[in-house]
Amino acid sequence: MTNHWIDIKNSDCILIMGSNAAENHPISFKFVTEAQQKGATLISVDPRFTRTSSKADIYAPMRSGTDIAILGGMIKYILDNKLYNEDYIKWYTNAPFIVGKSYTFKDGLFAGYDEKTKKYDNSKWAFEMDANGVPKMDRNLKHKRSVFQLLKNHYSRYDIKLVSQISGTPEALLEKIYKTYGATGARGKAATIMYAMGWTQHTVGTQNIRTMAMIQLLLGNMGVAGGGVNALRGESNVQGSTDHCLLWHIWPGYLKTPRASNVSLAAYNKKWTPKSNDPLSANWWQNYPKYSVSMLKSFFGNAATKTNDFGYDWLPKVDDGKHYSWLDLFDEMYKGNFKGFFVWGQNPACSGAHAGKNREAMKNLDWMVNVNIFDNETGSFWRGPGMDPAKIKTEVFFLPAAVSVEKEGSITNSGRWSQWRYQGPKPLGNSLPDGQIIMELGNKIKQAYKKDKGVLPEPIVSLKWDYLTNGEYDPHKVAKEINGYFQEDITVSGKAFKKGTLVPSFAFLQADGSTSSGNWLYCNSYTEKGNMAARRGQKDAPNNIGLYPEFAWCWPVNRRIIYNRASVDLKGQPWDKEHWVIKFAGDVKEGKYVSRTWIGDVPDGGWYPMQNPDGSMREDSKYAFIMRKHGHGQIFGPGRVDGPFPEHYEPIECPVEKNFMSSVYTNPTAPQYGTKADIYQTCDPRYPFVATTYRVVEHWQTGVMTRHQPWLLEMQPQVFVEISEELAQLKGIKNGERVLASSARGSLECTAIVTKRFKPLRIAGKLGTVVHQVGFPWCFGWQKPVSGKEESANLLTPSTGDPNTRIPETKAFMVNIAKI
Amino acid sequence: MEVTRRQFIQISSTTAAGLAVSGLGFDLVPVKAHAQMLKTRYAKETTTICPYCAVGCGAIVHTSKRGDGRVINIEGDPDHVINRGSLCSKGAALAQLVENEERVTTPMYRAAYSGEWKKVSWDWALSEIAQRVKETRDSTFQYKNSNGQTVNRTVGIASVGSAALDNEECWIYQALMRAIGLVYIEHQARI
Amino acid sequence: MSKSFFIDTTLCTACRGCQVACKQWHSLPAEQTINRGSYQNPEDLSFDTYKLVRMRETVVDGQLRWLFFPDQCRHCYEPPCLDTAGDPSAIFKDGSTGAVIYTANTKNLIADEIIESCPYNIPRKAQDGALAKCDMCYDRVFNGLAPACVKVCPTGAMNFGDRAEMTTLANQRLEKVKNKYPKVSLLDADDVQVIYMVAFDPDLYHEFAVASNNAFDITRHAALRRMLRPITHFASRLL
Repeated sequence: MTNHWIDIKNSDCILIMGSNAAENHPISFKFVTEAQQKGATLISVDPRFTRTSSKADIYAPMRSGTDIAILGGMIKYILDNKLYNEDYIKWYTNAPFIVGKSYTFKDGLFAGYDEKTKKYDNSKWAFEMDANGVPKMDRNLKHKRSVFQLLKNHYSRYDIKLVSQISGTPEALLEKIYKTYGATGARGKAATIMYAMGWTQHTVGTQNIRTMAMIQLLLGNMGVAGGGVNALRGESNVQGSTDHCLLWHIWPGYLKTPRASNVSLAAYNKKWTPKSNDPLSANWWQNYPKYSVSMLKSFFGNAATKTNDFGYDWLPKVDDGKHYSWLDLFDEMYKGNFKGFFVWGQNPACSGAHAGKNREAMKNLDWMVNVNIFDNETGSFWRGPGMDPAKIKTEVFFLPAAVSVEKEGSITNSGRWSQWRYQGPKPLGNSLPDGQIIMELGNKIKQAYKKDKGVLPEPIVSLKWDYLTNGEYDPHKVAKEINGYFQEDITVSGKAFKKGTLVPSFAFLQADGSTSSGNWLYCNSYTEKGNMAARRGQKDAPNNIGLYPEFAWCWPVNRRIIYNRASVDLKGQPWDKEHWVIKFAGDVKEGKYVSRTWIGDVPDGGWYPMQNPDGSMREDSKYAFIMRKHGHGQIFGPGRVDGPFPEHYEPIECPVEKNFMSSVYTNPTAPQYGTKADIYQTCDPRYPFVATTYRVVEHWQTGVMTRHQPWLLEMQPQVFVEISEELAQLKGIKNGERVLASSARGSLECTAIVTKRFKPLRIAGKLGTVVHQVGFPWCFGWQKPVSGKEESANLLTPSTGDPNTRIPETKAFMVNIAKI
Repeated sequence: MEVTRRQFIQISSTTAAGLAVSGLGFDLVPVKAHAQMLKTRYAKETTTICPYCAVGCGAIVHTSKRGDGRVINIEGDPDHVINRGSLCSKGAALAQLVENEERVTTPMYRAAYSGEWKKVSWDWALSEIAQRVKETRDSTFQYKNSNGQTVNRTVGIASVGSAALDNEECWIYQALMRAIGLVYIEHQARI
Repeated sequence: MSKSFFIDTTLCTACRGCQVACKQWHSLPAEQTINRGSYQNPEDLSFDTYKLVRMRETVVDGQLRWLFFPDQCRHCYEPPCLDTAGDPSAIFKDGSTGAVIYTANTKNLIADEIIESCPYNIPRKAQDGALAKCDMCYDRVFNGLAPACVKVCPTGAMNFGDRAEMTTLANQRLEKVKNKYPKVSLLDADDVQVIYMVAFDPDLYHEFAVASNNAFDITRHAALRRMLRPITHFASRLL
């Protein structure tokens, strides 16, 4: 979330699309309700009428997988009706940038596509630079190759009629939504988007979100209270675990995992440190080497020195251009390319797309370590349906973990708040906190390499591993390591610091080894002032918009609303006088600002505003979007692998034989896999119904933590499929009957819920066709309930996904339903 | 930890009510617990954050100070500025997650081709795992890739997880995995 | 002064925090259930389920509505169950809060009579014949805490407090949502300590959302006991 949960109450219009907040983030409705009571409009767009829709002022159904068509139509509506905030887009976004002549877009394809590799050469989409290497701009937005004009051109095709033909959403509803949401382009108004896996789990997932981000930029809704682009993260610490980068492609704090071509620390830092020649661009990532070197110091402590590149070579490198992502990982496992596998608090036998493939893949492992509270379908895969234990070689170690309330440490919520938890009871039986397990395992591995050298022992024996106190895992020691220490007595920006003291914030980190920080984003979270995440202050900030700056701690540097420099006009005064986030309060002398003071939230960089009160431009200011190389929000996004503007493509499995928007059918860069398990069937009469998956409030993820709880199982005891009354009639299915759902990859027995909340949609216009949609919760698995019949809906889903993130496409695929 | 400001609702003449009930002169032991003494009265109170979705609601854990020291109640933290004491059905059931007889409380091992789990000690399990990590790493380690570039990586082991870990656990976890040389490191954020 | 609930169903998202919080606080066991083609589960109130969010899909004026009704004992001012029982050691009304409390002695009553006497179809019988239902979290209220189902509610659908405060809140909310829901109403507000607000015809939510006249068609035995009941028992209303 660019904003945070409480801030939803400041919104004038709330769009819930690609998520079902009332069911999956129930307490968010505290703030949705508060906003509605103050007059905000709640819009729910979803293939299915949900508990969220039940509270909406406007509900619109849609065909799953057509979000870009719907949102692209909104962009066109905003542009046609000039609803955008013109000053905002001129100064804070790249709308004025001039795109180079090599950029083209023809009938669904952008310039630079290579049919053979299924990849784009995105250098064809680069901006035109002036003699100083600064992007050329036309702040009047008139240049025909300006982003603004290209945007107009690109979305001119997305008229309401065509959008309705693609999405099945009635034209009148689309127009109502566009008008209502677009109205927040007015100064002082804000709209917010609450989205989740309903947007990410598509072959166009990244572009779904980009389309919305572009809308928010056009309307001036980024950085303001009640606005932003808000990913509702689904796990209590999926934000923190992402910040610490338990992902193949990034190191803690979103640093890059080194590629093989980054042959030295210098080469690595050079490659990944962006360079801007524009003096008005803060280009915050220019500090990259300070963060990477400080991180290496935390990894290897005193063993990390200038002479050994701070241990850079000891850490693994990935091959350039190769993916090591979830889908790729299980593809490799399926092919028998791993011997060992760790699974920590996760259940890929049920949670991964194409779960059947994943379960087969596990048979090829020599050993697996499964760490969890309960046994699950992954650790016990060898005794699951269709498995013969006598033929499965995999050794499995199950390590019982403590529950969250039995240990101490912090987690980071979706609003980027890191919050400290305390130990209530001791871990049950012989279960242990994960931290203790990791520390002890690390010590065992270190001992093994000290005893018998083996290959490249240095990274293992040199790994700094002093996080025990009296033999017990000490979260405070790790939290301090993450924050970082001064490694020697140094003076930074005129302030003297002692060796061994905690670094006050990332502004003080150094690239010469004189500081450590396990994760620069969290530098400021545990300082000499104490454990900031443990704070419980009840006082609000002076703007009184629910920031609660003394409660817990939020990255970066306790900034509660990021991009907040865009919440003010060029003179530093808020667009919204009532719900202001920050405002400039420096002294004025003869029409000029003469001192620097911002009040409200922690500003996104404390520089002077762009303009003085007399309208003259300042040279010591910085553009609002400080994390972007050129300082501007990206309406044109040349960094994505599948195009700088989002474009509607059909899901890999879909009910239509062509894309009505262009002759490019599906995302031309979406990954597909080639094992015999990987079957994709589109427009196949055997699988005529559009399917999607979701969660329910009563269970969580694959249900490992909730299916064992009688109170929760009581409310949702069985896996189900929701189908419309019309489809039920067509297939002769009665409410509550067991049915068999099948896709090209697997089948699932489930209970039919025949409901008014799914309705057949007519697509492709009046002479078009009727599309039936069905939906499954993915919170079940064979192990519990003990009947063994309530299985994972991911047995049906395909292994394909978004080409940028490689998140699987589990929200739009094709199935059949039949009576048993 | 400080639990500062409880927003108790105002109840008038509750004491009188209590007296009135006990003064009726007959057995009022109800069907279920209607005791006037709260079951949480002599419990240790700690604050926690709900482990399910990422709203980050606060809860108060009541742990018995007597007997086995287990959880007797978990409910919303009224001083938490997000949820102000409220919780959803999963959050409201938290006590049943902790005090659950189906939890596994000792390490287990399933041998190759075996049809069952057997209970093992922590020391045995961790020693065996460390040994397998070393064997697999040593036998699958790549110093260089096919282009001759230094890669120093272990390709025979993959690891997934976990958004269920605390921040501090995440950090030491990824540090260990990367030090071992893993490149296949993934978790819930990818799915 | 007596206590009241105000339940604003227009704000209920059916997260069912209340349903579970009730079980948690009262240590009530879960029931064995199956999916009957609905999210609503258990199917009905029971000896082990005092609070149940009822869920109905219906089309009103051409618009689909998913109606949620967090059902529970209304803690009537003049509880027919109490009158029917005529045994204050089994069913009594707490003088200060107004909570209608069932004790273990309800097993000595004729359970079906008590159940039939309830205009809201609330009490439920255990195997040994004892009856149970919502107890207003009497122990919590006595100690200055809100009932578990109220404290847990995120949206303001569940409210609890002094009677005057709740009736004020109910009337304020009624005024506020009238434009959006012209048929909005408060159910039996003068007779019960649990005031529901519904946006549509109450029958659309639940058969027993409002007091049913049939329910007062109490059995002969019950009527007899009612006549013999000491008059002092009416006093609870006046406190």
